[in-house]
Amino acid sequence: MSTTTVVKTAARSGTPAGGGAGPRKPRGLTDNLRAYLLNTPAMVVIGVLVAYPIGYSFWLSLHKYNLKLPALQKFVWFRNYVNLVTDPEFLTSLRVTIAFVVVVLGLTVLLGTTLALVLNETFLGRGVLRSLVLLPWAMPGVVNGLMWRTIFDAKTGPLNGLLYQLGVIDSYQAWLTSPTGAFLITALAQVWNTLPFTVIILLAGLSTIPGELYDAAKVDRAGVFQRFGQVTLPWLLHPLLIVLILETMNAFRAFDTIYVLTGGGPGDATNVIAVLNVKTVLTYTDFGLGSAYSWVITLVTLLVSIGYVSSLYKKGSIEV
Amino acid sequence: MTTAVPSRPLLARLPWRKIVLYTLALFFVLYLVLPFYWIVNLSFMHEVDAASVPPHFLPYHPTLENFLGFVNPTADQALVGSRAVQDTPYALMNSLIVAFSTAVFNLVLGTFAAYSFSRIKFKGSQVLLIVYLMTRMVPGIAIIIPFYLVMRTLHLLDTYGALILSYTTFALPITIWILKDYFRSVPRELEDAARVDRCGWFRMMWSVFLPISAPGLVAAAIFSFMTAWNEFMFALFMTSTISSQTIPVIAANFATDLNTQITLMAASGVVAVAPPLILVLFFQRLILQGMAAGSVKG
Repeated sequence: MSTTTVVKTAARSGTPAGGGAGPRKPRGLTDNLRAYLLNTPAMVVIGVLVAYPIGYSFWLSLHKYNLKLPALQKFVWFRNYVNLVTDPEFLTSLRVTIAFVVVVLGLTVLLGTTLALVLNETFLGRGVLRSLVLLPWAMPGVVNGLMWRTIFDAKTGPLNGLLYQLGVIDSYQAWLTSPTGAFLITALAQVWNTLPFTVIILLAGLSTIPGELYDAAKVDRAGVFQRFGQVTLPWLLHPLLIVLILETMNAFRAFDTIYVLTGGGPGDATNVIAVLNVKTVLTYTDFGLGSAYSWVITLVTLLVSIGYVSSLYKKGSIEV
Repeated sequence: MTTAVPSRPLLARLPWRKIVLYTLALFFVLYLVLPFYWIVNLSFMHEVDAASVPPHFLPYHPTLENFLGFVNPTADQALVGSRAVQDTPYALMNSLIVAFSTAVFNLVLGTFAAYSFSRIKFKGSQVLLIVYLMTRMVPGIAIIIPFYLVMRTLHLLDTYGALILSYTTFALPITIWILKDYFRSVPRELEDAARVDRCGWFRMMWSVFLPISAPGLVAAAIFSFMTAWNEFMFALFMTSTISSQTIPVIAANFATDLNTQITLMAASGVVAVAPPLILVLFFQRLILQGMAAGSVKG
């Protein structure tokens, strides 16, 4: 109750900062106090529900801790991490994850840039395409997994039927039971799901290009590709960087679509690190090792996100 | 030669420009729609038709039996996906409650924080804003184990509470970033006027400030709602019975069950995607703005 009163009084007495010119009394402390009071609820939630669990997770990763045998909890230093780097399953999973990230990034950039360029043109039906772009974005990852499962189903999937009828294949293929097939399909599914976000960022980038640049290029009789290389691409580099960073994070921790689509199989062809992590925790209830896994994911993601934040800084997107 | 040509035409003046453009546009329409069309198609089919070779690209004998099964399953349907068919309506209800509560909770917390960033110059505001942004980057899996243990201690496992709290951590940074941008666009004069009228901060917010920021609030609410609706990993860990299992968990049960019916699975997918899809189509413009605004809302 006292909090509310303080906020109220402070709000009433304080003139919003940066408002207009003119002499004003320095009121630093009051403003700071007021701002932090307003931020308290959010900071408490973040602190209790994110900061504390992350620390706790690290602490757990230094322990031998099985949920089913809580009495045997033991501090083991970095044993879990050592076990991790010598575990062939983890190393395979890491390779799969890196390959997954690379393929997903490649396809995302290729398809996303093309689609953004198309949407940046004026043509009949642009509005329709613009709305359709949001369709994959609305799709829950689990449904995305279900969807691609039914499409690549060996018996009832439309792909087999279509290719067979066109004479491309002479017998139905079990796409999802071949390691390469399953791997590529998970990547495809991931790209489909995250494409809208990429397109929106790139489209926002394209819309900031001044039209005069194209006019100038035209006067210089620059061809399509020259114009793309000399005008569009340089302006698109920063949005592309943002896309690369965000999609790297997304792909690195990709879970729900893959879990439903292949469950990590066949063999360990799609056993990306997040899926392996969840399976370790759910199946073996080994919380110590599971935490070590998630700390590897966290470290990579945090490193990448530092890149993200600093690139936003350079662009000036973060202004306070 | 400086006639202002509209800034668009990258491929302009080339005779084949239109051809390429429309071919690409058509390709993308098919790329975006066909996969989704396939599960919609399946969801209206009888199991027999769905299993036919070659596949039917239109439901030959369209039926609602898959959807009706969710309300009143036949003996056959009841066996599918470890009770997933019967559980679907409850899961939908759970998802609605969780997603709606998450959205409201986020708006309340987010409004306070975002207001401070939009109106007050204070020490550490930049750092705090980045802390919120970084929170968004923390992978869910990093906090899931401790989160599970904490919720177990608090006896919140398998309740809405655990889900709402976890989804709040995902959605709060997005909410704050969206709201801060919208709040900045509200003219300060309105607040000053309210202050002259001796109107308290809460009343000013409620009757002047927030109504004006409605588009931002709606955008942020949709983002939170969808985050909560679509999330799977936490739901998988924190729920164990239908008293809190959400629709993605139940939909996944269809996929992991060996003797699943593909048409029922498709119907569950269609049901699960319907609410977010309707929101997106209805609030398209707001969502596009919200996504583009800061590129921070992954």
